[in-house]
Amino acid sequence: MSLIPGLGLARGMALTLRRFFQPKATIRYPEVQADIPPRFRGRLQLLYDEYGTLKCETCFQCAQACPIECIDMGGMDTKGRFHVHWGAAETYGERREESALRRSGRPVPDPAYTPFEGLDVGPVDAILEGFDHDPAHLLAILEGVQAHYGYLPVAALKRISQTTGTWYAQIYGTASYYAHLRFDPPVVAGDAPRSPDAPGTSRPGDASYLAGLGASLTGRPGGDA
Amino acid sequence: MTTKTGQHPSADDPRVIGQHPSADDPRFIGLHQSADDPRVMLDDGVGVYEPVPPYPPRTEREAEFYTLGEGEMFLNAGPHHPATHGVLRVVMKLDGERIVDLDPVLGYLHRGVEKLCENADLHQTIAYMDPLEYVSSLFCEWPAVMAYEKLLDVKVPPRAEYIRVLTGELNRISSHLLAMGFHALDLGGITPILYSFIERDEIVDLLASITGQRMLFNYFRIGGVNGDLNHDFMSRLGDWMSRAGSEVMSNTTLLNENEVFVRRNRGVGVMDRETALGMCWTGPNLRASGVPFDLRRAHPYSVYPELDFDIPTRSEGDSLARYLLRIDEVKQSLRIIDQCLHQMPDGPVTAKLPRLLRPRPGRAFAAVEGPRGEYGIYAISDGTDQPFRFRIHDPSFLHLQSFNVLAPGGLIADWMAINASLDPIMGGIDK
Amino acid sequence: MSSLGRAWGHLTLPGKIVFTVVPLLAVLSAGLVATIVLFGGAAWDLVQSNLDFVRFLAAATITLVITIPVAFVIIYMELKVIAFMNLRVGPDRVGPAGAVQSVVHGLKVLTKEDFTPTGADPVVFTWAPVVTYGAAVMTLLVLPFAPGLYGQDFNIGLLYFFAVGGLGVVGLLMGGWSSYNKYSLLGGLRSAAQIVSYEIPLTLSVVGLLILAGTMSLNQIVQQQSGWFTDWFVFRQPLGFVIFFIAATAEGNRTPFDLSEADSEIVAGFATEYSGMRFGFFFFAEYVNVFILSALTVVLFLGGWNAPFPFPDLSLALDPGSLGIPLLFLIALVPVIGTLVLAAPFYLLRSSMRWWVALIVGFVLFNVVAGGLTFAWAYVSFDWVAGLVWFMAKTFGFVFLFVWMRGTLPRVRIDQLMGFAWKWLLPAALLNLFATAAAVVVVGS
Repeated sequence: MSLIPGLGLARGMALTLRRFFQPKATIRYPEVQADIPPRFRGRLQLLYDEYGTLKCETCFQCAQACPIECIDMGGMDTKGRFHVHWGAAETYGERREESALRRSGRPVPDPAYTPFEGLDVGPVDAILEGFDHDPAHLLAILEGVQAHYGYLPVAALKRISQTTGTWYAQIYGTASYYAHLRFDPPVVAGDAPRSPDAPGTSRPGDASYLAGLGASLTGRPGGDA
Repeated sequence: MTTKTGQHPSADDPRVIGQHPSADDPRFIGLHQSADDPRVMLDDGVGVYEPVPPYPPRTEREAEFYTLGEGEMFLNAGPHHPATHGVLRVVMKLDGERIVDLDPVLGYLHRGVEKLCENADLHQTIAYMDPLEYVSSLFCEWPAVMAYEKLLDVKVPPRAEYIRVLTGELNRISSHLLAMGFHALDLGGITPILYSFIERDEIVDLLASITGQRMLFNYFRIGGVNGDLNHDFMSRLGDWMSRAGSEVMSNTTLLNENEVFVRRNRGVGVMDRETALGMCWTGPNLRASGVPFDLRRAHPYSVYPELDFDIPTRSEGDSLARYLLRIDEVKQSLRIIDQCLHQMPDGPVTAKLPRLLRPRPGRAFAAVEGPRGEYGIYAISDGTDQPFRFRIHDPSFLHLQSFNVLAPGGLIADWMAINASLDPIMGGIDK
Repeated sequence: MSSLGRAWGHLTLPGKIVFTVVPLLAVLSAGLVATIVLFGGAAWDLVQSNLDFVRFLAAATITLVITIPVAFVIIYMELKVIAFMNLRVGPDRVGPAGAVQSVVHGLKVLTKEDFTPTGADPVVFTWAPVVTYGAAVMTLLVLPFAPGLYGQDFNIGLLYFFAVGGLGVVGLLMGGWSSYNKYSLLGGLRSAAQIVSYEIPLTLSVVGLLILAGTMSLNQIVQQQSGWFTDWFVFRQPLGFVIFFIAATAEGNRTPFDLSEADSEIVAGFATEYSGMRFGFFFFAEYVNVFILSALTVVLFLGGWNAPFPFPDLSLALDPGSLGIPLLFLIALVPVIGTLVLAAPFYLLRSSMRWWVALIVGFVLFNVVAGGLTFAWAYVSFDWVAGLVWFMAKTFGFVFLFVWMRGTLPRVRIDQLMGFAWKWLLPAALLNLFATAAAVVVVGS
């Protein structure tokens, strides 16, 4: 505050009067449109390649990474075997109705044609029991299932989806992402299911993580990890 | 207007409590008899909102607060009040215009961000950090990625660290400009906020040219940042830096020497050192009380040890000191940006990491110095790709608890000055 | 019938309106002419015998009606000036440069729901804006706009002004109390306390001026300031002028003293619960008050309708009546010739311009020139035109000052407001009064 009373007020008034005559900063919106920054990410867009084919492979990676779950998609898997769909059944149920699918040109599921062979899901249930039906250990479960059957049967995936409450498409996405997981039986005929040496079974997914967590929690404050 | 505890003010008011005309109407007999019926509720004089809760007091403090003395009244400010910076609700107990006691009521913006983060994988949680403090989003992402980097034991490339500091300080300036503008707006001056917005718009456009968004940047990544600096950003930044200092300072002449503004703030909401420390204050508000505590120097992180800047401090601890300290910090931030531009090394901007991150079981705490104080993230990993526990530490929440120390004894108008100078953001408080 | 009905059905809405209104107007005009022919003499005698009453009626009607365009202009000015000071453009969509924005605001307010909250006292709630607006209009009645252009010349004009102007706060208090809302109550009480405090320095600051002027009639006060601008009272009462201006700002609830509707503290003060045209009346009254206080400052201290320097006594020796028949030719030919002459250079020198565009440009230019000439002629020939021009120029200069302050300053606190009135303004006003009285005694004796 200055020594002369009112000088601060007068300087402020002078500033506003100067601004009165300066050019204005307003962007007159409908006539002048603001630039969209080059890295703008506000729009979802499906891209086409140079042959006019949709580039999207329905891998669900975008939908899985989307934190607010606003991406929803459906399509055929790469082998054209069955229709997969991302989205909660109760939310998007109407999109799986026959008429909706027919209108959208998607394949219509028909219970008369069984999309997968029946399977004894007892071993799957046992594996799930071992992991407490926790979808956080999805990869370990899938590896366990593959270790038992030699591949990932569709019925087993459906069973996992049913008992863990995880969307089938998420399981499919996880399973299709890893190279060592397969959907088809191994081409070498006649060999028995390989049990012990499947990769991934030794990762800290079972009871060992609890021990590790407990050990780290008793450690030095501030975290050493 | 005085009421007894828990009693509706209109209970004995013949104007309000009238029978609804439909009560005597034969056509309506038998209808609208449930207590939940909105039409019956309407008859009970609900037109006047009373801050007294409808349930009996649950704690001693509540019983004491909701008992009115002689000549006192309640005033319910918010959650739609113009000066509460979001959806803060404050029940004030007034004696005339003097505040006897007040009670901030939170939770109108609660989204359960911590729980959402515990059900998302590490990359996804960064997107949840942005809307916490929507005017300084980068400072919410920063501790999260720092905590994950500690958990995963990742080495961040130096160029990425410099870019983080550069964008972070830009964001700090924009946040302080906004705080200064809204301080004036809460005291009735309508012009400074628009001058602030002109400069803030420049900064936000700058950040948009490298992050892609103007407000919720989602730019920091575990082990680096999402994309290198580009030509657009660098040319415009140089342009802006050449005139930023003079522009910001010329705009502050509107308030710094303004007698009305100074008198409204000097000696209002005085916080002494010890109480400030006891209230867990951090950031500019603490430094305005004379404690030179700044995480950038006290617990150095990123590349701040390599940069030369001062920690401005003021001893008064009142609203004016908190306002002026923000101006000093803007100057220091400009210095830091200048040094970042000169010292920035070449190299990659992201560490090489697998796409699916599974940290070892363990825990980590990381904190950064944001424009409002210390932003911290405490994350526990159980070995899966999702955090087992995710705790957000927000400075505004701790500043808000000192309302009961600062405001009583002052006028309603003083509370506006205190609230504006503390600069709380409700997105971070309610989480 | 059917053909008539079909023709009616084919009309657009404006067509229907025109075809309804034009015959109606024709019938009414015929009736009016007949009435004047039949009873004109008697009516004229009635008017002649009650001339004072008729004059008062006309003045009251005009002052009531004039507030609306005045408020519209000031609202538009406030929107635009503050926007420019904020480096914004302001309203620019409705009309040229947003000029009719405030009119559209008025229509919007008019069409909004007029809502009375539960618990409000409906009678007081309804009458509060009327009282505020009525007080504003009534003060306008004694303001001298120009020589001979005033509602009523009281010999106690200034006293009447302060007395009636103080009534406005009763409306604010009524609105604040009857809304049954604590914000409204606080706003109403704030404005009551504020105006009670500031009435005293406001009134005391002009007492020195009254000693010098020796009259309370606003007309005579203005007449005493004629001549050069150094004769204005602002140069003889500088302290009084400053006190008066500050107190008037508080009296008009303007920034930095707009505590009764401090939007960041008590939402909208007394007007919190108001909507529709009842809010509109409060809103209008505020802006009419700005005009009135500016006008009063001009009248008291800045010479009212007087030009800042004695205007050279030009009288145009032009009596249009003496031209006789050629006047008719002049009226018929000058616009055409002027338009053609002004359009010719555009058409001849710019090859891209079509002839009809050039004609339009010429017509517009001719109107500008003719309007300017007419204005200059009126300014020279009629005292009241010259007076009105100067009066309005000075008054809107002060309105601009009020708006400028609104665009710059924050708001003071209620205790600072009171302290300022009682600790600074009141002693200063008393000092001014004693100094003036002493000077008059010393110089006069």
